[in-house]
Parts: sequence; structure tokens; C-alpha cells
Amino acid sequence: MAKSALILCMDVGFNMSNSGPGEESPFDQAKRVIQKFVQRQVFAETKDELALVLFGTDSTKNPLDNDDQYQNITVHRNLMVPDFKLLEEIENQIHPESQQADCIFDIALNVCVLVENTTIHKLDRRNIVLLTDLNSPVSSDNLDVIIENLKQADITLQFLPGQKRPRTEGRPGHGEAHHQLCMFKRIERRPMAWPCQLTIGSALSIRIVGYKAVTEEKLKKSWKTVDAQTNQKDDVKRETVYCLDDDNETEVQKEDIIQGFRYGSDIVPFSKVDQEQMKYTHDGKCFAVLGFTKQSSVQRHRFMGTQVIKIFPGKDDEHAAVALSALIQALHELQMVAIVRYAYDRRSNPQVGAAFPCIKQDHECLMYVQLPFMEDLRHFTFPSLENNSKFTPSDEQLSAVDSLIDSMMLVEEDEDGKQKDIFKVHDIPNPAFQRLFQCLHHRAVNPGTPLPAMESWLKATLECPEVIRERCQSALGEIKNKFTLTQVEKKKKLKTSAQIFGKDSDEPEAKKAKEDEADEEFNLADIAEGSVTSVGSVDPARDFRTLIRQKTLTFEEVCKQLTHRIEQLLGNKSTDYYMKSITCVEAFREQSVKLGNADLYNSYLQLLKSSIPTQGLESFWELLVQDGVTLISEDEVEGSTVTRNEARQFLVTERIEEAAAHPAEDPGDVDDLVRIVLL
Amino acid sequence: MADWTSYYRNEDEEEEQEDGEQSAGEERLTGRDSLVFLVDASKEMFIKGEDGAPSNFDMTMQVVRTVYTSKIISSHRDLIALVFYGTEHSKNPNDTFKHVYVYHDLDEPGAKRVQDVDALRGEKGAKLAAETLGCGPSSLGDALWCCANLYSDIKLRLSHKRLMIFTCREQPHGGDNVKDRQARTKASDLKETGVVIDLIHLMKPGGFDVSLFFRDIVSPPEDESELGLQLEPCEKLDDLQKRVRAKEQKKRATARINLCLGDGLNVAVGLYATAVTARKPPPVKLYRESNEAVRSKTRTFHTQTGSLLLPSEIKKAQTYGKKQIEMEKDEVDFIKKFDDPGLVLMGFKPMEKLKLHHHIKPSVFLYPEEGEIKGSACLFSALLKKCSEKNVYALCRCIARRNNPPRFVALVPQNEEVDDAKVQINPPGFNVIYLPYADDVRTLDLPRCTSASQEQVDKMKDIVTKLRFKYNDAFENPVIQKHYRNLEALALDMMAPEEVEDLIMPKVEQIDRRLGSLVDEFKNLVYPANYNPESKPAAKRKTADSGGGAEKKPKVEVSMDQIKVHVQNGTLGKLTVPVLKEACKQFGVRTTGTKKQELIDALMDQLSS
Repeated sequence: MAKSALILCMDVGFNMSNSGPGEESPFDQAKRVIQKFVQRQVFAETKDELALVLFGTDSTKNPLDNDDQYQNITVHRNLMVPDFKLLEEIENQIHPESQQADCIFDIALNVCVLVENTTIHKLDRRNIVLLTDLNSPVSSDNLDVIIENLKQADITLQFLPGQKRPRTEGRPGHGEAHHQLCMFKRIERRPMAWPCQLTIGSALSIRIVGYKAVTEEKLKKSWKTVDAQTNQKDDVKRETVYCLDDDNETEVQKEDIIQGFRYGSDIVPFSKVDQEQMKYTHDGKCFAVLGFTKQSSVQRHRFMGTQVIKIFPGKDDEHAAVALSALIQALHELQMVAIVRYAYDRRSNPQVGAAFPCIKQDHECLMYVQLPFMEDLRHFTFPSLENNSKFTPSDEQLSAVDSLIDSMMLVEEDEDGKQKDIFKVHDIPNPAFQRLFQCLHHRAVNPGTPLPAMESWLKATLECPEVIRERCQSALGEIKNKFTLTQVEKKKKLKTSAQIFGKDSDEPEAKKAKEDEADEEFNLADIAEGSVTSVGSVDPARDFRTLIRQKTLTFEEVCKQLTHRIEQLLGNKSTDYYMKSITCVEAFREQSVKLGNADLYNSYLQLLKSSIPTQGLESFWELLVQDGVTLISEDEVEGSTVTRNEARQFLVTERIEEAAAHPAEDPGDVDDLVRIVLL
Repeated sequence: MADWTSYYRNEDEEEEQEDGEQSAGEERLTGRDSLVFLVDASKEMFIKGEDGAPSNFDMTMQVVRTVYTSKIISSHRDLIALVFYGTEHSKNPNDTFKHVYVYHDLDEPGAKRVQDVDALRGEKGAKLAAETLGCGPSSLGDALWCCANLYSDIKLRLSHKRLMIFTCREQPHGGDNVKDRQARTKASDLKETGVVIDLIHLMKPGGFDVSLFFRDIVSPPEDESELGLQLEPCEKLDDLQKRVRAKEQKKRATARINLCLGDGLNVAVGLYATAVTARKPPPVKLYRESNEAVRSKTRTFHTQTGSLLLPSEIKKAQTYGKKQIEMEKDEVDFIKKFDDPGLVLMGFKPMEKLKLHHHIKPSVFLYPEEGEIKGSACLFSALLKKCSEKNVYALCRCIARRNNPPRFVALVPQNEEVDDAKVQINPPGFNVIYLPYADDVRTLDLPRCTSASQEQVDKMKDIVTKLRFKYNDAFENPVIQKHYRNLEALALDMMAPEEVEDLIMPKVEQIDRRLGSLVDEFKNLVYPANYNPESKPAAKRKTADSGGGAEKKPKVEVSMDQIKVHVQNGTLGKLTVPVLKEACKQFGVRTTGTKKQELIDALMDQLSS
């Protein structure tokens, strides 16, 4: 595994604290860059080691510390894999200090070299990054000697960021480092070689090796569930149980479960063993040509799968290279592609795909993309747009769109006739990862504070470039004039639970009336069902009412049982169960009002609301809203902390809350960073 | 289609499903799709074509079967019925209607039904049809009425209702005005209840004149084009398959969002998944005793106390840099949220900037939603026309669902295309191509490549040309087909499943025959004589050139006696691998190994004893 070591060598001397009014000091800039960089390494989980050396410190701590030599240089951290501890230290322990650093600038480098040599690991690359604003060190000659030494030790040196840079022109990776620092490292995966043979018939085969070239990269880590109190993963256990689809939800043991498959309306029991024996099998790994066809008959929008594989000749095999090259060039000249059967290995399903020739200046290869199977395709027919007079744009309208397109071209030719693309998507880091890392970092370093807003540089990369936005204004205005676009007002189809379940709309009233007579009814019920001891699953609302009347259990206990049932019912995510749940919630509300105890109900309903997104209960909530089941207000129960207005608002506030959840934006700092880093 | 999500499942969708729970719920509430095949069973339908081509009836049954089996795979919850009219015998609820035979009432298709349809195919099928159905006078009005009853008998909510009439008779009542009028009335009743009536007219001598009768029966096309009526009658099974397939699937947008051109200028569009990787469906868990399906419930509880944990009692966490970092569940969603769902225009780029290899997932299709914002179709249409003319694509930022992070997409214009029979092959609209981020493009170490000479390329061109074929239809997926054949066999208690032809296997013999000597000629040009591409790569060979083919090494020959001496002296190691291999051949020593030591061992074993 390739490993590299890097030393961040930061000037913390008093010269770094100088800054014009309103400007960020070089120290703060440097610190920010270091934070960004370390943060990036931490989230990339590289095994690369990193050390931090400070110079211009008031104290001294380094292996060369010797009376008056090598003073005011502190090795804050020796080479090791960076972690959050280091980030916290940078945040809290590194401050501007008061020593003059320029005279120790060169010897600080010597310390770095020494630190570079402390690691026991074998390193492929060694770097030192120097952060200082020093214009020119005391003696340039001395610096040149040091640079020469570094070169011989195969250590590269970079200066970052410094408004006035020492002579570093021509150093590789310089500008790149600036730009890349502001974002989290892009995910890098070691390409895995897939050696195979490309075959044409039985007699011709060419040794090849495939590499995934483009694929939607996912993060290696996902969210784990932990207990909210202890933050321990081990305190939470998830368990799946199986039950029959009957009223009692009779649990079934795992051993009593067999598997089957649907064949239309039939369910066919089909054991794993049978399935293994009968399933499709094949000879494994293959890249076999089925035939060749015109490139134009393979449509771009028919590409399937989630990857592009580049096919190169087998490693160190010149003959394979020549044979493959002949195929690539032949396809290129004929404008054709190979249709191939591709199977990664014996366990994976074979697929059909197209291998396109790809000829670049420095390499040739085939590019393989999966094509659809017949079963994958949906043949939708859409009404023609051209033959419909209502939709046919006029010439004026067409020319307005024409100028919009012209004003919004993202690729332009410069004076030399060279094309310049000002919006390259494949240079943008995945914003989801950037944002996640930003928030994780924030939470780790500033616990207990709300998550920050999106960094403004990231936001900016996702927006239409400023020049385009300005340039298209008039064309956009023209379109607004020429086209009429009107939002179609839709009567939102109100679906109350009653409608969905086919109850008569006046039934709730009838039910209410009945409940008024509930006293008598329950007296009878008591005799018949004197055995109700807990809230069961068959008719939880009825059990709930009965138990409250019986008063054998406390109100709290009965409510707890009921909410437990509701959770169970909601876990099924099916409208039947939603219906049952609603009657439970209604019963809960009704009894709470009756007993004048609103707290339990109100807090439960609030909890329920907060769990909508996590539990996917949106459609259930919608039903509750339609049925107008809200909080119990102080008008209904004295002592309720909810006003009537709040109760009414409760059902409709979702949108507003969402907006309020965004912390106020403070793009100032971040803008600065981008400015510096992109310097 | 109603619940395709449960059948076509891939990782992305599972993720999206989580996020898009609401829309999934919506679909559940909208009900089932339904399809009624109303097939003419008059004697004209049974007339065979020239040269023994299948009869119209036979072709129809073949298509019906295809629809049955494909529904079983893709959307088994759709309801299908098969009704014949113009029969001698009658079979329908209460036998109210004469000469109408309900072969299958509206229900989910199953194995038994597939068999039933199979029975009506071919020579035997015609015979069976003659026995059970027979040919009699027809009344389309009664047939439509009967179909209306099928719909109204269904207790389930039906979302999409379609009825397809298969016939080769342009005037089913032979000009009887009363019957014609009755049929028209019944047809309009049906259409009023939301049933879409299609005519799949089949070939008959003298052509099929739709205007004589059927024009007033079928539903008007979605657009003004009268596309539906201009269609030529189907003659070939392929055409018939295509036309039915185009109608049989109800298109449903996976998302309806706005395409913002800037400054609050919005066009309403729908996203349609036109290609989704079909997978083997997940197994259903059954209770051993009763074979009934069981439900699974997942519970989260506290390990120590055993009590169920409410959502508020758990948090989410990830570990980085030796530190566990916790978030509330709603914070996790907050992080994922960048903006509300929608497409936002960034600008335009010439088509050649769309790189072939910038592919990360199947594309979706974009079509205007006039029902959301009036005027969308017009602006959309103008945009489509101009993009196509100027050969540019639109670059947009796309958030398809709530709390989904943004992706950039290329909107590639696609003009409408119809085939000779006026069946739409490509609908008008934009194909949405997902573009990779920097993270998605991997850095590869490019191997040093040797280029082929023109002579070698030309030889390969001969090979390529010999193996040309027209790729216009996708292949069947052998894995899925095999799975369903197995299920079919089990469901129908068949002795063995029907064999599945693996269409994606190379037809090796055919290829070899076609190429003939070309393969050897090509190999002679690019490979040295002793080169075996099947074996592991030998150490770097120092061939003089890579261009003009390889020099042939003289064949190594060592006499059998010499070999024996080497064996006795234990000096086989002095010989080279090719010599050893040759020796193995001469002595008839079978080896699986290709390494030198393996060859030596094999020879020693054989000869020293």
C-alpha cells in the first residue's frame, strides 16, 4: 500500500499576526488552511501520516533543541495518521505567538527533515508544506542549499498560502494544492484489475484487463443507530419478527418459515435448495463477442448499469496489446461497436453490453457499458408535440428560445479558437460528501451547537455561473413575454380516512353520538368482556376505553399500552393499519379530554409528528390532518399548555418549521477562505 | 405497473424509496391497472395467411400470452381479462349476453391462465376454439356491455382501465344499423367511466377501413394527431407485439417537478423511468404449516432493558478519525437537503461535450406536464426543437425527490420517431443523462500500449464486417427467464421446466464458420507461433517488432532418447519450457500444469519408473 508522509510546518511568529484593518491575519488564514487539510485527510481515511511543526513559538520542543540552537521551534505532533484529536488541538491549542520567525525559517526545515525520518514506515512520498507569510528568508543562498538537500532526500517542498510567496514558481502541484484544499478530498478507490479474455468465436482470444473507470461512488461508511442517552451502538438492537396476517398478529418462529416466490397471482413455495439447483448457471468470467453493430444503433439513453469499464490489453503482453489495438482501430474506422456477453465471475449474473472503441493520444482502450435486457424496458408512448396546434411554438417564440440558448452557452471559444468549458461537472466534488463531512466535522469539534449552513463556495459551485446569469437576463425576459405560463390551480383532493375506507361521511357524527351513550354500553360490555386486562391488538381503542373505565390500571399505564399498540400498527405502513391507528389516536384524545389530562396526549402527538420523516408516516399524518385530529388546547382542558391557535397551527406548521430549521447563514468567513485558497 | 417498485429494485431506488415514501403511498392509494382483451372469434379470424402464416387468431393468442407472462414478471397486481365475441357458445355471468364468451374475467394473471391461453394457440388451439367457442353472429354492443359489467364487478379501486379490441372485420355487424348504434352507445358509456378503448386491427384482404365503423368506437388519441387511426393494420406478429406493448403499459411519472430556466420561469415536467433493471423478485416468506405469506416487523429495542425504543430515543452516528460523531435523525435529513426538488438550468453545451463514458446510472425521460403549469408543453416543445436544431444539450442541476442531494444532468433532445406502421419508436422529449462528479471518475494507471499496424487493423476489419448484425432489439435476460420458467413448472406441476434458450451466449460455431480462415490469418499477423493467449503471460518476450507479425521460432525438437538421458541424469531443468512441452506430447504425458517444474515433475513421474 502506497503511503506518504507530510509535514505541515507553520509559522506562528508575531509577523503572522499583522493584518490590515478588517483583514484576516496570515496566522488565521494559515490555521484555517491547516484545519481544512487535516479535516480532509481525516475524512478520506488515508493511511498517510502527518506531522505538525510550529516555528516562532515562545517555547521550544524539538529533538535538536540544544542550548541556543534550534530554539523557538516546536514539534507539535510527530508523524502519525491524523485524527480528531489533532483537529481539536489545532482548534484550541495553536495561537499566534510573539517570537520573530524569519531567522529560524531555514533551520525549521532541518527539523522537518529530521521529523520526516522518524517514522518507521516505508514511505513512497515525502512532502513538507510550509505556511508562512515571509517575503524572503534571511538568506536565500541558505534556502537554495536546503532545497537542494531536500531534493536529494526526495522530499518535495511547497509553500502555502502566504500573500507574498517566496520563490516557488515552477514547483509541481502548487496551484493544484491551493485549489484542492478547500474541498474534502475526493474519494479515491484503488482500481481493481479484472483480467479476462476477449473472445471472438472459439478460436480467437485476446488477453485483456478491465478497470472500472466511472461509477457512482458511495461512501464506505453509513449511519449506525445508537442509543440517544449512552451513545452506544451496543445498547440498541434491531430484531425482525414474523407474524401471520391475522388480527392477533400471531408470531411465527423463524424455523417455521419457508420461502416462496410469486408467479402472478400464485405463490409458489420454492426452497433455497431447490432454487440453487434449478437456477441459471454459467461458466463464469467472460467477455465474449456476440457480434458487431453500428455505433449509431446503440443509443446513449439506453445505457444501463452503474458503471463504465475500460478494457486494456493484458498486463505486460505486447501481443495482446497489438491484437486489441487492431480491434479498437478497426471498430473506430468502421464506426462500430462490439456487442458482448460480460460476466464478472461465476456468481454474478451475465449481462449484455457494448464495447466502444476509445482512442486517445496516450492510450487506446475499449469502453464497456451495459445495455438493457428486454425485461428492463418500458415502452411508453407519449402524445406527439409537433402535431398538436396548442403546443406548437410560434416563430417568435422559437427565436426567443434560440437567443436564450445562445446567451447561456457554457462552452466558448477564446481568441485562439480554443474551446473553453466553464462548467465541468466532473471537476465538481460530490456536494453530498462535502456537506456531510462539513457537518460531521462541526459536530465533532463544536459539540452541542446547531449544524452550520452550507459553505458558500460549495453553494456557488452548484449555481449557474454568474457570467451566464447576467448574460441571459434579456433573453429570459423575452421568454417571459412571449410565453404564457400559468400554474394550474388544483383542488387538492382531500382524502379523509373516511373516504379512503368507504365510510359514509356522516358516520363520525353517528359514532360520536354513540359514544355519548357509551356509559351504558360499557356497562354491558364490562359484563361481556370483563376479562380485558390490557390493550390488545384486535380493537385497541375499545380496550383502551374499557381499561380507563375499569380504573384497575393507572391512566399513564393504559396510555402507555395504547401508544405501544399504535407504534406497532404504524410499523406496518399500510392504510388498513393507519385506519386502526387513527381510531386509537382519536380514542386517546377523547379520553384525555374527558379526564382533563392533556399532557400525555399532547406530548405523544408531538413525538409522533417529529417521527414522521424518520418513519415515513407522511400519508398517515395526512389522514390525521384531514380528520382534524390535533393537540388538546387549553380551551378543552384546563392546564393544557397549548393555546387554541397553537393547536390549530400544529397540523399545518411543517413548512414554516422547515424553513426555520436552517441556521442563519454567515458566508463571510468561508468566502474569505475560498478567496485565500483560490489565490 | 402499480407496484413495480417492489419488483424492480436496485440500491438507488431503495434509497429513494425511503426518501420518497409519500409518493409510494400515493401510488398505493391510486389502485390497480386493468386491461381487457376483447377478441373477435369469427371465422375470418381463423383464416390462415399465405404460406401457412399463422391466422389472426393465432397471432392474437400469442400476443395475449406474452402480455400475461410479462405482466407476471413486471406487474402481477394488474388485472387482465380475456373475452371473445362472435362466438357460438356463450359464457358470462348469468349468461345475459349471447355470443360473448368470457374466457378469463378480470383478475391477476397466474400460471393457470397462461396455460389456458397456450391451449388456444396453433393448430390444436384452433380446434379447441372451434369446440369451446365456436363461431356465431356478433354483437359488439353486447360484448362491450359485458366488459362494462366485468369492470363494475371489481371491488378494488381501478386506476387505469384499458380495453383492446382485436379484429380483422371492419364491420362486425355487416352494416346492421341498429347493432352499430347499440355498440356506439355502449362504447361511449364505457369511455365515460374512464375506460380507454383501443382498436388493434388485423390484416384482411383489401385493407381495413377504420372509418366505416370503428372510428366512433375507440377513444380519441391523446393528441390531435389522429395517430391511432392512421395506423396500418398489423400483419406481422412483431408489429402486433410492438403495438400492444406500446399501449399495454400505463406510463406513470416517477416525479413531477419544475424545470426552472431562471428567475422563477418554470416549466412543469414529469420524469419517467423508461428502463429499469429488472431483477429476480425477492422471495416471499411463508408459514410452513399453511403456506400463507407472513409479514415481517422490525423492532428497535434497548439491549439491556428490552424496551422498545422510540425514534426520539435513538441517534445516528458515524466514526471518523477515531471519534464517534452523533446526530439526530432529523439532522441527518437536514444534511441531505440542499434544495427543494426540481431541475435548475445551468446553461447549454454542444452535444460533443457529452462524453460517452460519463455514465453512472440509467437515464430517465422528460416530458411536459401541461396539467401542472399551463403553457409548459409549448415552451418545452420550443426548447426541444431548438436544442435539437442547434445540436446542444441543456445542463441542469437535478433534485428528483425530497432530501436527495443534487446531481447534474444533461437533457438530451430526442425527436419523435415513428416506424413504417406509424407506431411510435421514440417519443418526443428529453433524455436525462446523469453526469459523474469528480469522485465518480477513477484515476487509472494507463498501461503502455502498442499500436497495431494498418495490415493488422485491416484484417480485423474483415473479421468485424463478417460478424455484423443489426442490434435493434434487446435480448431476454436468461436469469430472469429461467427463474420464471422454474416457477411456472412448479406452479403447474410440470415434470420439468421449459428450456430457456440463453440468447446472450455467443453462437460460437456459427461465428467460427463465418470467419473461416480469417482467424488464423489474423493470429499469424499478431501472435507469435508459440503464443497462447489462454495461458498466463510468459515473462516479457523480446520480440523484435510488434508491427509486422512475429518471427516464427524454429520448432524445438529433442529426440526421445535425449530426453530419457536427461531424466536419468536429473538434468531436465536444462531444457526450455517449449521443449519440455513438446517432450510431454511425444511421450503422451498429460499435464495440467504449464510451469516448468510441473512439466518436469510430470515427465519424471512417467519416465523414471
